[in-house]
Amino acid sequence: MAETRTQYQEELENLEVSALGGLDLVNAALQRTLEAVEHQDVELAQLVVADDDRIDGRYLEVHQALITLLATQSPVATDLRLISALLHVLKNVERMGDQCVNICKLIPLTGNEPPADSEMVELILTMGKQARSLIGQAKRAFGDRDVEMAQDLVRQDDTVDDLNRECFRLALEIGDDADRREWAMTMLLAARAIERIADNAVDIGEQVAFVVTGLFREFEDASHPA
Amino acid sequence: MDSQPQEPATVTEPDRAPQSAAVPFQPPAARAAGPRARRAREEGTVELKKLNAFYGSNHAVKDLDLHFAADKVTAIIGPSGCGKSTMVRCINRMHEEIASARAEGEVLLDGLDLYDERIDIVAVRRAVGMVFQKPNPFPTMSVFDNVVAGLRLTGAARGEIDDRGREALVAAGLWDEVKERLRAPGVGLSGGQQQRLCIARALAVEPEVLLMDEPCSALDPVATLKIEELIGELKQRVTIVIVTHNMQQAARVADTTVFMLDGQLVEVGPTEKLFTTPDDDRTEQYVTGKFG
Repeated sequence: MAETRTQYQEELENLEVSALGGLDLVNAALQRTLEAVEHQDVELAQLVVADDDRIDGRYLEVHQALITLLATQSPVATDLRLISALLHVLKNVERMGDQCVNICKLIPLTGNEPPADSEMVELILTMGKQARSLIGQAKRAFGDRDVEMAQDLVRQDDTVDDLNRECFRLALEIGDDADRREWAMTMLLAARAIERIADNAVDIGEQVAFVVTGLFREFEDASHPA
Repeated sequence: MDSQPQEPATVTEPDRAPQSAAVPFQPPAARAAGPRARRAREEGTVELKKLNAFYGSNHAVKDLDLHFAADKVTAIIGPSGCGKSTMVRCINRMHEEIASARAEGEVLLDGLDLYDERIDIVAVRRAVGMVFQKPNPFPTMSVFDNVVAGLRLTGAARGEIDDRGREALVAAGLWDEVKERLRAPGVGLSGGQQQRLCIARALAVEPEVLLMDEPCSALDPVATLKIEELIGELKQRVTIVIVTHNMQQAARVADTTVFMLDGQLVEVGPTEKLFTTPDDDRTEQYVTGKFG
């Protein structure tokens, strides 16, 4: 049999690179977000908010191109699974970007010199680093079609979940001062957003398994925990 | 409709009991109520066992073992020259009509070997109808005469011919379009209508199996869609085997899809699986269009 449809294959490969490149954009946004949290940097936070248009733009551009491929090339088998998975990845990329925006919008609310609890800030920064690690690993697992690496995301996500619970405990114990309590509640929202980013990375890992095996299953079912 | 028992298949050797040889061609009880009645579930099952087909020294189909389930649509896909059409033409013994062509192995219709030397080929072709790539209505016949041409050869009574001709046109989804011009020439219909006319002609003799060799390749998208919808309806009454180069068509109409390559069976399975998670890498390469 002769090789055919090389242009289509090239286009699909390029779209995968673009979609996964969205994860690099998110990773950079999350890094800036964490810096903004650490230093109460309102200007940097505003930059993250403005830059989210790039992530949204990537989503729209690749999403449209994938829909066009579906309409014009009638992909099947691995190609169909890949396109379906990339559409999911894009959605996760867009949501992770929005979570960074959510965190950055909280920073001005805490004031210039908030009554910050250093332990809680440290926890949030650790969560953020862990979430960034998950994003990078999700991208590598997808690119390498490595199901084992994808499944390992669950283990790392559990660490993020534990840190989130620890943040909650610290917030409960932060004392009676109204300003400190308000700050802690705001930081809990930030922690929750990071926790969701890590969940999105696990979702991408599930898509890796789908592309490789053709079967979709959740690595962890929140409604039916093991 | 009053259904008459069909003429049993004849055997060429007098020592063979006619009843036993005629089994697959007798109208089942389910169909005695009319052509639209659902057939007994196992009626129309086709099985190929170690089927080999040759054109002279060219070995076109190699050791094929396949099962075509009753009341299902099976699509045969594969690149040009892979033996799809040859295999299908072996089922109703059309293959042997070509000079130097021959087939070996077994083709069983409801357990009866159609290559048994005592089987009447005419009866085989009545039980296993065929629709070709290009519509081929008889050019000198009217619409209605085209439909009942095969039926007339069976010696059926006029009333029965009229009833079954009409039933076949209804079943082929053509009745409403041609009922006012049944005496007009068949070749005056559009391409899509002509193809449905050919399907009606095949249905009129109430086959167990309908073979379709790229039935839509000469049709426009609307006519193609009508044929595809028709296939979905007809599978209730006849086993359908369709050869197609259009993989989306296979995906749309078939319950089971068979992928052939170089005369051999590569993969057979539920259509949904073959087009989402094929087991064989060659199938994957072909259906995704990486090779063809």
